[in-house]
Amino acid sequence: MDIIRITLKGIFRDRVFQGIMALGVLFLFIPSAASLSMRQVTELSITLSLSLISFILLLLAVFLGATSLWKDMERRYMVSVISLPISRSSYLLGRFFGLALFLILTSTVLGVVAGVMIKLASGIYPSDRPIIWSWYVLAIVFATLKYILLIAVAMLLSTVSTSFFLPIFGTICVFLASGITQQVYEYVHSPISAQTVSPFLKTVSSLVYYILPNLAGFDLKVNAIYSIPPNPAGLVLTGAYFIVYTVALLGGSALLFNRREIG
Amino acid sequence: MRRLTFPVCLLVTGVLGYCILIGPFTSYMRNKPIEEKLGFVPSIKLIKPLSADQQELAGAALVMKVLMYYGGTLGKAQAGKIVSESIDLMGMSRMLHGAVKLDPYNMDAYYFAQGFLTWDAKQFKVANNLLEYGMQYRTWDWYLPFFAGFNYAYFLKDYSNAARYYQKAGLLSNNNLHIQLAGRYMQESGQTDLAISYLAAMEQNEKNAVLKEGYRIRLAAFREVRRIEQARDRFKELKGMMPRSLEQLIQSGLLSPVPVDPYGGRFYLESSGKVVSTSKFAFATQHK
Amino acid sequence: MFAIDIQGLSKSYKTKRHLTVNALKELTLSVEQGEVFGFLGPNGAGKSTTIKCLLGLIRPTSGTATIMGDSVTGDNYRRKVGYLPENPAFYDYLGAEEYLLFVGRIFKMQEELLARRTVDCLKLLELWDARKRPLRSYSKGMVQRLGLAQVLLHDPDVYILDEPMSGLDPIGRALVKDIILDLKRRGKCVFFSTHITDDVEKVCDRVAIINRGMLQVVDKVDNILQQGIEGYDVRTTAANGQVEELFIEKNALQSFIQQSINNQTSIERIEPRRKNIEAFFLDVVAQQ
Ligand SMILES: Nc1ncnc2c1ncn2[C@@H]1O[C@H](COP(=O)(O)OP(=O)(O)O)[C@@H](O)[C@H]1O
Ligand SMILES: [Mg+2]
Repeated sequence: MDIIRITLKGIFRDRVFQGIMALGVLFLFIPSAASLSMRQVTELSITLSLSLISFILLLLAVFLGATSLWKDMERRYMVSVISLPISRSSYLLGRFFGLALFLILTSTVLGVVAGVMIKLASGIYPSDRPIIWSWYVLAIVFATLKYILLIAVAMLLSTVSTSFFLPIFGTICVFLASGITQQVYEYVHSPISAQTVSPFLKTVSSLVYYILPNLAGFDLKVNAIYSIPPNPAGLVLTGAYFIVYTVALLGGSALLFNRREIG
Repeated sequence: MRRLTFPVCLLVTGVLGYCILIGPFTSYMRNKPIEEKLGFVPSIKLIKPLSADQQELAGAALVMKVLMYYGGTLGKAQAGKIVSESIDLMGMSRMLHGAVKLDPYNMDAYYFAQGFLTWDAKQFKVANNLLEYGMQYRTWDWYLPFFAGFNYAYFLKDYSNAARYYQKAGLLSNNNLHIQLAGRYMQESGQTDLAISYLAAMEQNEKNAVLKEGYRIRLAAFREVRRIEQARDRFKELKGMMPRSLEQLIQSGLLSPVPVDPYGGRFYLESSGKVVSTSKFAFATQHK
Repeated sequence: MFAIDIQGLSKSYKTKRHLTVNALKELTLSVEQGEVFGFLGPNGAGKSTTIKCLLGLIRPTSGTATIMGDSVTGDNYRRKVGYLPENPAFYDYLGAEEYLLFVGRIFKMQEELLARRTVDCLKLLELWDARKRPLRSYSKGMVQRLGLAQVLLHDPDVYILDEPMSGLDPIGRALVKDIILDLKRRGKCVFFSTHITDDVEKVCDRVAIINRGMLQVVDKVDNILQQGIEGYDVRTTAANGQVEELFIEKNALQSFIQQSINNQTSIERIEPRRKNIEAFFLDVVAQQ
């Protein structure tokens, strides 16, 4: 797809990747930072790596996802591209997959760099729990999926908005909310809260729970850090959840985008 | 309108798939092992610089997380389900300790920790250390020494330390009750009354619904215990001997209605005459 | 089959403050294949609105349009169209060559053909030397020329150009006129909007004049010019050899010629003096 290629070219020419690599220098400090912890050097270095990767992916998802359509509109590139013989849906999907690919690329590179650092750290201070690399990889894979889903959220918001405020702040809000909806949902539906939570609030929170993405399931940090085996069926469910949710988001975005006037 | 077909198809597929999946996914998420659900808090050393100038917020967020988690599991337990997973009290404790490191003034963290560290986790020393830590900051707060005093008196049976803290609480609150409390219930016989007065005070002052409910249940249990104790003492007075069992007490007509353990257990009398329950005054969970 | 067929096209914009702007009212217009058609109108007349409807960028409020027989609600008809937007902008991180390759791939051109056409178009529009530079370093005129290169690249049958001459220097304008005339020679349909009448006079077969969203006139350029004749400049040589330059009213010509014959005055030259398209255009717009 040419749109994917053009998207990736745009990101690289905007020196986003170089920026990430500059941030990636932080990874070099992981072994020394982790050695601050007396007993958990390996654990801490995995934590730091995964958190840093997540953070970078979050920034990318929010800013690239929210600005890519907006930039095309604002700088009037959209008119020249959309008037070529491609459907708007494929333009949108091209953009999405371009960004998703970039995210995958970034997390692969960062994952490898961080992996080397963790290896170093664990070599100096061996841990009592073995590092299970496949779970480390799995944690990164699911983090990447999570942020790819977030890109789709940002895109959906960009298709309805003319500015970049709504997409950026909306995506950040969705991200924050998505981490806690599960807990709020369980709390609101526990009998203990039955007396204090009004039925209205209960309905609202259920609605929010079903509409907003639930990203808590994508967090496999604990498994990677403490070598706790993840639940395979749960992972499959989470993967399927990612697919259907993203597909729905993209469908909605494409629908809205098709109805949008570009002038 | 042919160009809308594709997006509509995508949307419909996604939404349908979502509807099919959300049920299993929700139940999977609900039944996730606790460590995963409560999440893992890296290290406070790390969070502290990362939360930059928002340490209070980070601290409050941690407390909130624990509270939501606790509320959820408590709710399940009360609904009569035997909770398949154990409540991760240590995890909760770790988080609350983290929270007060971020914001040593966070009142909720102390109150909440006091609640479950003592009754549920039986970590009296840990609770008292946390309270001591808090007293260095919340120098005006009489609740902290009040808690500490109670812990010493009721759980640790260390009456001199208890008196010291009750004294402190009394001075801070300008309330003689606490000082009196120290003296009045310092014997084994007064334990149930001590607990009831403590719990009643806690329940009354608690604003958080989850915690209030926790106190209410425990208070109800202790009121039942006291009722049984009173009946037991009457029995002894009248018959000149200890009742052999709770059933005997009930048959004698001294104990009516039949006491109910809100934790779902069954009361019985130990050979010493002490009133206990099969529930051990906790919901049926398998503590680690 | 018409190259472009517009039937009862209307478009009203809703502005932020709940006002509606009726930018286009019931426009009906057909353009033949192989015809060069000028779409003339003052600023804000609705030219760009019409063209955007033709390219599916905006949805008309009512009415339909087809291009080469295909409704403009689909996507595929655009394969047969070369479109130059008003004040175009292209991905500024690409070079001209890269951009043309991107466009050619979207048109699914064969690689070999694409490479050849890219070179041709870049050379034709004098962008060859700048082809590797990112577009952000281009001047407005250069971007406009890239827009034209992009239109010519895949050699479509229908060209829709929104103000193709804007932003160009006189050399550039002359080049664009040459290109349009060349397309006409090759039997292509060119539909272009402009507010500069001179362009129309030189290259167009037919012209439509639109003002405030309403079509005013559609006619052959030749007809307009014919009707616009006001009179004739005549140069005569009398029998005595005296040379005279005269202006003769349009309807007086016949009698003047008769008279000249009678007077044995020879007519050396008759040149029609006519209102140009500009004057015609101004008349039409002023009438409304
Ligand atoms: N997006 C829009 N929202 C509101 N009004 C618009 C919009 N685009 C164009 N218009 C109005 O429609 C009319 C026609 O505009 P346009 O077709 O661009 O004129 P032109 O003939 O100069 O190309 C103008 O009055 C313009 O103000
Ligand atoms: Mg215009």
